[in-house]
Amino acid sequence: MENEKDHIQTVEILMTVKSDRISSFTQLLGQGFTIGARVGCTVMEFLCNLPGLDFNYIEQRVQTIFLNGKPVDDLNSAVILDGATLALSAAMPGLAGAILRRGGSYASMRHQISYKKELISDSVREGCVVLKLFNLVARELGPIFLNHGICVSGENLSGFFRKMPEDFWSGCRKVKKDGQTLEVNKLMQMDWQTENVLLKVHSR
Amino acid sequence: MDKILRINMGNEGGPKASEEPLGDYAGLGGRGMTSAIVSKEVPPLCHPLGKDNKLVIAPGILSGSVAAQSGRVSVGCKSPLTGGIKEANSGGQGSQVLARLGYAALVLEGQPKDDTLYKIVINKDGVEIIADNSLKMMGNYDLIEKMKQEYGEKVACVSIGQAGEMKMAAATVAFTDMEQRPTRHAGRGGVGAVMGAKGVKVIILDDAEMPKRSPKDPEKFKKANKAFVKGLRKHPITGEGLPGFGTNILTNVINEAGALPTHNFQTGQFDGASKISGETQTEIMKARDGLVTHGCHRGCVIRCSGIYMDKEGKYLTKRPEYETVWAHGGNCGIDDMDAIAMLDRLDDDFGLDTIEMGATIGVAMEAGLAKFGDSDAAIDMVKEVGKGTSLGRILGSGAAVTGKVFGVERVPVVKGQALPAYDPRSVQGIGVTYATSTMGADHTAGYAVTANVLSVGGTVDPLKPEGQVELSRNLQIATAAVDATGMCLFIAFAILDQADTFNALLDLLSAFTGQECTADDVTALGKQILEYERDFNKRAGFTAQHDRLPDFFKTEKLSPHNITFEVKDEDLDQVFNW
Repeated sequence: MENEKDHIQTVEILMTVKSDRISSFTQLLGQGFTIGARVGCTVMEFLCNLPGLDFNYIEQRVQTIFLNGKPVDDLNSAVILDGATLALSAAMPGLAGAILRRGGSYASMRHQISYKKELISDSVREGCVVLKLFNLVARELGPIFLNHGICVSGENLSGFFRKMPEDFWSGCRKVKKDGQTLEVNKLMQMDWQTENVLLKVHSR
Repeated sequence: MDKILRINMGNEGGPKASEEPLGDYAGLGGRGMTSAIVSKEVPPLCHPLGKDNKLVIAPGILSGSVAAQSGRVSVGCKSPLTGGIKEANSGGQGSQVLARLGYAALVLEGQPKDDTLYKIVINKDGVEIIADNSLKMMGNYDLIEKMKQEYGEKVACVSIGQAGEMKMAAATVAFTDMEQRPTRHAGRGGVGAVMGAKGVKVIILDDAEMPKRSPKDPEKFKKANKAFVKGLRKHPITGEGLPGFGTNILTNVINEAGALPTHNFQTGQFDGASKISGETQTEIMKARDGLVTHGCHRGCVIRCSGIYMDKEGKYLTKRPEYETVWAHGGNCGIDDMDAIAMLDRLDDDFGLDTIEMGATIGVAMEAGLAKFGDSDAAIDMVKEVGKGTSLGRILGSGAAVTGKVFGVERVPVVKGQALPAYDPRSVQGIGVTYATSTMGADHTAGYAVTANVLSVGGTVDPLKPEGQVELSRNLQIATAAVDATGMCLFIAFAILDQADTFNALLDLLSAFTGQECTADDVTALGKQILEYERDFNKRAGFTAQHDRLPDFFKTEKLSPHNITFEVKDEDLDQVFNW
């Protein structure tokens, strides 16, 4: 994974929190964050290059995948392009969950919206992708991505911080903004309506 | 479970209970029992709130035993909402307790001579029917608290709130959970209105000194149950996803698929979805010391429910389920989890179907009664229903009536019942089930195991588009059979993916009943139930023209995929052609 700093963010926030507060960030992970990575390759190749993911994890855990909102059945034929949105989820309950599962028994029941292979001339190169992590995938991969740093919209981050209860803030040990120490309660007052923020969260 | 309890509320001289052997209904349970009784005994053209309709409450075949997940109960009648046959399904303690009292069905019949309200107490000594007008217009929560004072903390209660007493078509029958709270509901189709029409406010079930139901082959049963539980626990959905995030785990995923009906089915994605997702909901519940993983009845090993506290850390409601979060959330443009939890609490207290109410408020918002996203207005609307104001009476009659009254064209109903939380334009196979289900639009009607397990009508290639009708047919057959067992439909995932778990279920049934049960038997049972229901609906005046989605699904493109519902009418007509 390339350094996102070269691509998009304007502000860097480093938070050090109690380990049991890491799960509080799942909402942000579900809203999506931007990463720089190799694009123009298959979804499987793309995923295998991400931290914390390997072929076995993808095969066993990541049972539901959307590329630009379309359920993907074959990760080895779907190609990810610059600017794409990729959402990763575990297997889901309900008939709808079974229908959306990749290559599942009910895939025909949503064939109208399924990802269909396109003829693509793009070659493999560096680009940006919006990644969304849901449910068990967010719980398991979230700490890895947060530790490395995720680029989120300032608007989403402001809204997220405003909703956090007192208990969350009491678990925040230290905050740095662009390398400078910041009082924790200042985060709640930040107005990031237009900026992108590189958020790193370490647990202790 | 070898007898049927009938209570004639219209008996000369006052309500009277009588017991009878199972007779032709032997071997049936749950939806199999309710649909058989309603189909055979209720005149299909009767008024749903009249003396000829019957309310049937039936535990599943395995209920009352120690089989895991076997605590589902079926409530059947002719529906005041759809005019057709109805089976509404619920969790809670009622199924296990009623089964241990020995009843395969409790049937409320006739019509009281006046407006006296009754409570019915059933225990090892028999049945007592007591007039108690002090219970009039009590909400379910206050009512159950009163019953707790009178009958103790161990009884299970089956009750109606104000909506049922007012005979509203969106009224539910409530079942108490393990904490004796009225949080589990036979929600769909207005079954609570039929109970209200019978003059029954609450049924108190006390199984003290009653034994658990015993299997015919205890050793085989014990072994099969162990394998079944192991299969549920090792599967990622039943062992991790549902216990961790509840059914609302679906919100983010359905939204990403563009299948989350938003603003009364105007679009397929909701900007505020992540704020009301199962992931966010779980974090809110954890931060307030709520319970994230909890069963709705004893013997549940999946435990997809939970306890939701308010901002002050006080109990507010159980964990709102996905369909509730969708109905009151994205469908109404509301992204405030606390407001949705409050709406869930009010629905449970008044005894209202959360899906029908959410859909109804969406229609009302489209009519201009409030703006999409106005959570205070939505709460006020549900309170109007509880109070029984003129507006409340309209809203409590459901989405179809509300749409008619306020002149709304986009009314998401089939056979008068509101569509649940999956837009049929994005997930067209679900649309086939919505259109053709005997129940009206119902997401649980086609749910259970895959065609390729049961091989009903041959094996379907999952990646070919033409399989939708066949898959829907097979799903509806399989679901009807599971509903008869008393098993929670969530067992479907482990059965779908793990052949050994499916075999364990068959072994459970065989060991319990003493009769070998095969996949063919399951198929035959499901078909029989659907035939009862289709026959009743036909005699009630339903035709192929009722097996259709509203026109707007065929004419209005749904974003973000910009598609309409494409399944042809002639294909829909083949669903029950087996």
